[in-house]
Amino acid sequence: MEKLLSQKFYQAMNELEPRYPNKKALILPALHQAQAECGWLPPEVLAEVAAYIGVHEAQIREVASFYTMYNLKPVGKNHLRICTNVACCLRGADDLMSYAERKLGIACGETTPDGMFTLSEEECLGACTTAPVMMANDDYVENLDINGLNDWIERAKNDR
Amino acid sequence: MPKCLIDGKEVEFSPGENLVKVAKRAGVEIPVFCYHPGLSVVAQCRMCYVEVEKMPKLQTACSTMAAEGMVVKTQSEAVKKGRQGTMEFLLLNHPLDCPICDKAGECDLQDNSFGHGSANMRHSEERRTYVDVDMGPVIQKNMNRCIHCTRCIRFGDEVAGIHEMVAIKRGNNIDITTIDGKQLKTEYAGNYSDICPTGSLTLKDFRFKKRAWMLKKTETVCEGCSKGCNMEIQHEGNVVYRCVPRENLEINKHWMCDEGRFNYRYTQDESRIVDPTLRAPDGHKSAAWQDVVATLESKIRGGEVLFLLGTDLTNEELSAIREAASTLRTGIKIRTFGTLGVTKTSEDGSADNILKMKSKTSNLNGAEKLGLEPLAGDAKADTVIVFRGGRAALPRVEAKWSAGVGVFNREEASGFDSVLPGLAFTEKEGTVVNHAGIGQRISRAVRPKGTCKSVPEVLMSLLNTKSKAGQA
Ligand code: SF4
Ligand code: SF4
Ligand code: FES
Ligand code: FES
Repeated sequence: MEKLLSQKFYQAMNELEPRYPNKKALILPALHQAQAECGWLPPEVLAEVAAYIGVHEAQIREVASFYTMYNLKPVGKNHLRICTNVACCLRGADDLMSYAERKLGIACGETTPDGMFTLSEEECLGACTTAPVMMANDDYVENLDINGLNDWIERAKNDR
Repeated sequence: MPKCLIDGKEVEFSPGENLVKVAKRAGVEIPVFCYHPGLSVVAQCRMCYVEVEKMPKLQTACSTMAAEGMVVKTQSEAVKKGRQGTMEFLLLNHPLDCPICDKAGECDLQDNSFGHGSANMRHSEERRTYVDVDMGPVIQKNMNRCIHCTRCIRFGDEVAGIHEMVAIKRGNNIDITTIDGKQLKTEYAGNYSDICPTGSLTLKDFRFKKRAWMLKKTETVCEGCSKGCNMEIQHEGNVVYRCVPRENLEINKHWMCDEGRFNYRYTQDESRIVDPTLRAPDGHKSAAWQDVVATLESKIRGGEVLFLLGTDLTNEELSAIREAASTLRTGIKIRTFGTLGVTKTSEDGSADNILKMKSKTSNLNGAEKLGLEPLAGDAKADTVIVFRGGRAALPRVEAKWSAGVGVFNREEASGFDSVLPGLAFTEKEGTVVNHAGIGQRISRAVRPKGTCKSVPEVLMSLLNTKSKAGQA
């Protein structure tokens, strides 16, 4: 099978390996690394990670689909993940979600046709004290309100 | 042996036994879903709560090992509330469609809900729904009924040796399915349906055919190969609806293969010959029993005669035929046949390192123990009579006249000059000896079809015809 993951991936794994008790424990970092390289995790990449770790492909699928941080579908340039768990929900997360859906013209879980935005729902982001929270790409946007959400999207649009 | 106290009853246990097993011995049934004695323990359904003295919280009985002096309560208020809570969560998304579910009547979810759940439901939210997944010829998956116990995943992984069932996503969005909805590959897929504690993994062969509580159950042994898996024939109104494995820790544990499970089908196939036939110029014609018996008797009076015995016959049938042969005439040669390339037990062995054996008949060992010799090469004689249970692979027969006694379909029958239809394994009693030398009984579940006769009956009429002919 032709390798889809780069030499860099395997190097990074070799460096990480001694830090973990066994190879299975490397699954999460390996998936992160693979996603950083490919932007998302297509089935072939999951299969390659499975072969590298030495477990059945099915087990990698189970792990990758369990965590919402792994993208099993291609995502847009900006990935907005709005937390809809208890604390955020009580502080208006549902309104934020429907606002984002209307503003972007897509449903939660979809990507805009121009590939600029992907909208997802997230379980507790661990920042309940500043609820409602959204994770925009790698940043946390806390104490979010509709204005803040609108501003963020406008800024990203102009940032092409 | 160490002892513990379960609901006030003292029970002995061997170290390493979990509380579900130990309690069962004390006559206390602890409800379970994810626990299965043939699979690893994961303690994830939380149904088996018990109270253990000196432990602050409820414990899961499936993952708690009995210990000396342990005091366990399975009926306390806390336990009842805990189980009720678990049941409530498990039913949040369940469609409660027992009236159209094949599992109803033998469903753990139904039983435990009745025994430990609440009669009222507090939730009125929408339930999640999924479309059914076609998992190949054996299984159809209804995810709406699934309670994510993961028994199926563990069965694939630990018993069938293939990780084909997976848990995708999590929480409310979880989906227990195959990777990308692929078809199941294992040749043991029927077990998925048996171990599923709900009606989620339905057996296509059985779907919507019969309500479980209407079935009569007959304990018997599979005739599919020399493993001798213990199974139960489930039938009603003289029709077999399905076969399921019976626990036998020494032989098949809790499982059986699909080949064995569906083997019963040929016994009620419309192509099975169920009335005696004689060859006429334009194909086979049905004939009266006395005529076919008389013809057969006349054909074995002279010339070279070969009796071929299938290793799918029972010990009783094999010995009866041998005895009758010596009474009928001297010089009748007897040989056995069964599976191409596996004529002796020394050539038998595991076919897949799970259950299946290379010998595709159930009684190769029994025939060998009776001192019967296997056929080498083609079956050549003036007259060849083939006795067969129904599964043994027919060898090539070269004879001036030949007859088949036993179970044959129309196509197989066309090779003979006459067929005397016999009983299939579902219709008779007897003993078979498996590859490891364990003798087991097979039992009759249904009445014979048509005018089929047992081997002893055919032999008796042969002997009678001969003695009458002798007097005349
Ligand atoms: S399909 Fe059945 S066995 Fe598999 S997880 Fe669901 S309930 Fe359990
Ligand atoms: S392994 Fe052999 S005896 Fe067991 S179920 Fe399959 S065919 Fe029948
Ligand atoms: S509930 Fe949203 S961050 Fe915790
Ligand atoms: S049976 Fe014990 S937790 Fe499922």
